[in-house]
Amino acid sequence: MAVVGEGFGPTIALDGARKVRGNLTQARIRWMVLAMLMGFGLVGGRLVQLGMVVPDSTIEGQARDVITATRPPILDRNGLEMAVDIRVPSLFAEPRRIIDVEEAVQKLRTVLPDLDEAWLRNRLTGDKGFVWVQRELSPVIQDRVMRLGIPGIDFITESKRFYPGMNEASHILGSTNIDNQGIAGIEAHMDGENVALLQDLGLARGNALAPVELSVDMRVQHVMHEQLIDALERYKAVAAAGVMMDIHTGEIIALASLPDFDPNQPASALVKDSFNRITAGIFEPGSIFKTVTMAGALDSGAVSVSDQFDARFGIRFGRFTIDDFHGKHRILSLPEVYKYSSNIGTIRIMQAMGKEDYRAFLTRMGFDKRVPFELPEMRLPTVPKDFSEVGAATASFGHGLSVSPLHMVAAYAAFANGGNLVPPTLYKRDIADTEPFYQRVLQPSTSDALRYLMRLNALEGSGSQMNKAAQGYRVGGKTGTAEKVVDGRYSASKVTNFFASAFPLDNPRYAMVIMVDEPKAENPQSGTTAGWNAGTVTGRIVQRVAPMLGIAPDFSEVLDQNLVPPALR
Amino acid sequence: MIRNLNIILIFTSVFMLAGVYALKFSIENTASERTALIAEIDSQEGQLSLLKADEAVLGQPGHIEPIVRRHEMALAIAPVKQEQFGAFAALPMRPAKPNSAAMDSLFESLAAGVDPIDAILELEGIE
Repeated sequence: MAVVGEGFGPTIALDGARKVRGNLTQARIRWMVLAMLMGFGLVGGRLVQLGMVVPDSTIEGQARDVITATRPPILDRNGLEMAVDIRVPSLFAEPRRIIDVEEAVQKLRTVLPDLDEAWLRNRLTGDKGFVWVQRELSPVIQDRVMRLGIPGIDFITESKRFYPGMNEASHILGSTNIDNQGIAGIEAHMDGENVALLQDLGLARGNALAPVELSVDMRVQHVMHEQLIDALERYKAVAAAGVMMDIHTGEIIALASLPDFDPNQPASALVKDSFNRITAGIFEPGSIFKTVTMAGALDSGAVSVSDQFDARFGIRFGRFTIDDFHGKHRILSLPEVYKYSSNIGTIRIMQAMGKEDYRAFLTRMGFDKRVPFELPEMRLPTVPKDFSEVGAATASFGHGLSVSPLHMVAAYAAFANGGNLVPPTLYKRDIADTEPFYQRVLQPSTSDALRYLMRLNALEGSGSQMNKAAQGYRVGGKTGTAEKVVDGRYSASKVTNFFASAFPLDNPRYAMVIMVDEPKAENPQSGTTAGWNAGTVTGRIVQRVAPMLGIAPDFSEVLDQNLVPPALR
Repeated sequence: MIRNLNIILIFTSVFMLAGVYALKFSIENTASERTALIAEIDSQEGQLSLLKADEAVLGQPGHIEPIVRRHEMALAIAPVKQEQFGAFAALPMRPAKPNSAAMDSLFESLAAGVDPIDAILELEGIE
């Protein structure tokens, strides 16, 4: 049946069903193996790819809660902490997870009895995801609340500002609110500068912020604060304030104003009268302003230190007569006018200069505008734009105009440092950085004459009470007793007393203004004029701080003799 | 052949499954360790900030002064007075040395065996 021969086509071979199935299975397995290999290869490739990725670890640790945003520590000029951040637990609740509100309220109140029951119940009821219960608690309270084991109640760590100096530098530092934002003082200024920006950018985390160095010396600040508290008690005064400044760099070494507040309890800043009298208080400066008049007149060349002035009679302006307190009523030389604090003599000196020139000099000294300074608590001085005859006369001895003590300390610094008005600052800086800000307002020779006058007043004039305490430290200054306006009239019993000074006058370094508001006589033998209170406070402060500032006492009289201008030798 | 392949694949799968599980648990373990460490660092940073604040309080002049005042009597200390300061320039000069040349020469001659008094005695004719 089989046909075999040339020209036949290829053999038709038919595989059996079994063989066909076997081949098919093998092909399928091959495809499957291929698919699996490809699958594993894909997974392996992806793994290798993932292994090659370098994780970005820079973000690590910064993803922490925004709430721990920190502020830079504030240090004084010697590196002592004035403000630091501490971590404190804050209690929050998740009302939607609280099972039994009533139980939670009762339990919480066993640990925190100050919480109002109704308020707390209201707070914990509802479907909210997060509510604060009480912020900034102590670790002990945290422990006790955790032990209550209430579901839906937990703690979060927050940064809180802490001021280890308590009240001492309150007006410099200001304070922060519960969200750690500055609301007063240098804290508010720092926020305005850069901290707020850093926090917004999410950079102010952990301890990464460089500390801020202030110009304040906490030792001097402490002595000033302590002496002002002492002055409040000793003279039954309503307020006292003081500021000390480095006359070459403009750095504020100490600044205190009483009554003050505890920056750790910002609410205490709301107490009446606790404002910063140095920057935000403006006062009639009284006789300490005579130094300004002297400076202007001497610098203009209208008068010289050897001139004499007629102080025999009071000066009449229409219905008013201006006379001297404890007047000598004779011809006085210029140093005597200063020493006896003669109003008549000072008016004559101002008149020799001319009231327009005098007004222009006040503008030059910066009495028209705010002192450029970091603290936000500032007030504009009130100095009349144009002086009438009588207005200029009263202004020459510091009445009829109001300036802040900070103005006065800046002016006295210029008087003592050779005639450069330096803008004060609370940040540490050196002379080289300060010199571009120098503004020449006096000739050096005028500054020399003023140093002589200030020292003379301490040796023989109204500053002798001060000098007694600060023997050897070559302090010189001027007293100012400004009568307060009560019911539209100047009151003789209510006065604001000032003592503006500079030391050591042979090589001056610091200027200081001390203010005592409404002092009473310490004992029947003493008085209420500035020499008795503001003056002695200055003396006691210098006596304590001069050694800290590296000023050695020197009793040699030749130092004082060297201050005398050649014209008077 | 296929049976062998299957066996190999099953074993590989089992091994890989075990490996993946082990890896997963070890990663979870490491993660929880990390969380614990972060929490610990956090709490220690918190404690550190409190300690630093404590240190700052203790270093304040306003904190030290009352302590000094309390022990003023026992330690017999008081604020420094101006008179207590001195300077090297203020020290008096060293007093001039006494002129001992004559005495020195006398002792030298005595040591050499020559007594100057002998010459005087001889001159006076004594002895």
